[in-house]
Amino acid sequence: MQDLPPPPPALVAEAPAPVLARDPSVATGRILRVSAALTDTEVQVDSGFTGASIVLYGAVFNPTDTPADVVVVVRGPDAPVRLVRKSQTAGVWLNSRPVLFEGAPGFYMTSSTRPLSDIANFGQLRRLGVGLDHLRIAAPEERSTVTRYGVRDVVVSRLGEDYLDWRRAVIRLREKEGLYAADPQGVRFVDNGLFRAEVVLPTSAPTGTYQAEVWLFQDGEPVSSAELELTVEKVGIERGIYEFAQTRPWTYGILCVILAAFTGWTASRVFRRN
Amino acid sequence: MDIYLPIAEVSVNWPVLVLLGGLVGFVSGLFGIGGGFLMAPILVVLGIPPTVAVASQASHVVASSTSGVISYSSRGAVDFRMGGIMAGGGILGALVGVELFRWLRLLGQADLVVALAYLIFLGVIGTLMLKESLEQILRRRRGTPAPRKQRRRPMWLYGLPWRMKFPKSGLYISAIPPLALGAGVGILSAIMGVGGGFILLPVMLYVLRMRASVVVGTSLFQIIITTAMTTVLQAGRNQTVDIVLSSLLLFGGVIGAQFGARLSGRFRAEELRAMLGVIVLGVGIYMGLELFVRPSDLFAIAPGVPEG
Repeated sequence: MQDLPPPPPALVAEAPAPVLARDPSVATGRILRVSAALTDTEVQVDSGFTGASIVLYGAVFNPTDTPADVVVVVRGPDAPVRLVRKSQTAGVWLNSRPVLFEGAPGFYMTSSTRPLSDIANFGQLRRLGVGLDHLRIAAPEERSTVTRYGVRDVVVSRLGEDYLDWRRAVIRLREKEGLYAADPQGVRFVDNGLFRAEVVLPTSAPTGTYQAEVWLFQDGEPVSSAELELTVEKVGIERGIYEFAQTRPWTYGILCVILAAFTGWTASRVFRRN
Repeated sequence: MDIYLPIAEVSVNWPVLVLLGGLVGFVSGLFGIGGGFLMAPILVVLGIPPTVAVASQASHVVASSTSGVISYSSRGAVDFRMGGIMAGGGILGALVGVELFRWLRLLGQADLVVALAYLIFLGVIGTLMLKESLEQILRRRRGTPAPRKQRRRPMWLYGLPWRMKFPKSGLYISAIPPLALGAGVGILSAIMGVGGGFILLPVMLYVLRMRASVVVGTSLFQIIITTAMTTVLQAGRNQTVDIVLSSLLLFGGVIGAQFGARLSGRFRAEELRAMLGVIVLGVGIYMGLELFVRPSDLFAIAPGVPEG
């Protein structure tokens, strides 16, 4: 394994037994638990930004004989998405009314030692919200409650039976942009109990605070987890321009025009002399 | 060589953008047009979000038109009175167009309307331009004289109220047609990100029958005002103008335009129009194909999430 930088704050949560040793250099060998850290907790988006690759590394303390699985989930800030469906009318492909999906993170990645479905059962993954299929994406504006077969307050979606197609499309389109990913072999053990996983952020990764969860599963049950934080932010001139365009949009627009007119004027001056 | 665009939020190869600016600038200098209709589709192919592409390249049109107007006005070839009235219409049109574009984006129909506008306007103009110039080339080859042109202007130009004198254009007509023309082009400028020269020029020449020597300079003057307005509005209302992107484009653009303008003297006017016709028609058909070809994915992300 490559040399480890000084560990950024690594949170160890849900240790099932009373923690005796507080000194991090002393391994608590008797408790099954996971500990993890990121090589970088701040990703800076500057003019040379072409995406980033961060390594999440950690250790599993496993005193038992039963093997344990590690699942890494990285979740970006929420970014609602509007989707349209194209359909052919009289030979022309037209867009449907857009449907707003909420609860979709702007970035979502899972990485695990085995395919998620082998690690834990459907209900368990659904409860924890782990895995692309278990993201809590919903279109609340399409929901309505009706009375059906004499049962009151049945929640139905106006999208009807195609609802799952829509939901899958959200994930598929984000996957295509590199914003969603699932790597069933992404967590690799490099040494006894030491593992690493790579987090690849594309250029289009949204800025904001990201949460990285590391789950330790044994016999299909989550036994330990750790949570880390990661921020992606624009820095330097990129940040200045972005904030200027957002906070003083009218001044920014006028400046753009002046710059353009000035460039045009300069060019006509320069080339006339030649 | 990659640079991150702060508003578009994508990373692109900057020499490619400067070259693209240069290429479009060359075309615009060669044919005396803004070249916006060519720029927006190429930017989208390069992966820039369409809304940012349309808004940012409007300022490229401002730059290339500014250097054009300066050289035309020094020769006295700009009718500022006519241009001013058309620009007034253009500002109104840009106001309407930017709001229309916002509304279409909210409905998820923006890309469709843009594709349709490209297909209709570029298709029709390109076809007419190609037909007219090919006929002229053929006539010259055969040595037959040009048919006598109808010299009369449409009568309704005179029937409308608010008649004004436009001495430089040699016109005494109502102010309403130039105002309406400007407004129409202003709307297109906001939706398609074009200057609108490809519509202005034929209308000014064949419908208003302005004096040919002032047509190009006057249309460029109106285009500057309209696209400047569009840029400010797009920045103010939609925050979609990327100053880094537009700077790269206009840096290449102003240089390319000068070379294009120098080369234009080597070709006959009708040959240039035939070439331009082919380009215009090609872009129109390319953009329109989207409407008829089965998309690879039936679902698409609609740009713009309502605030909040």
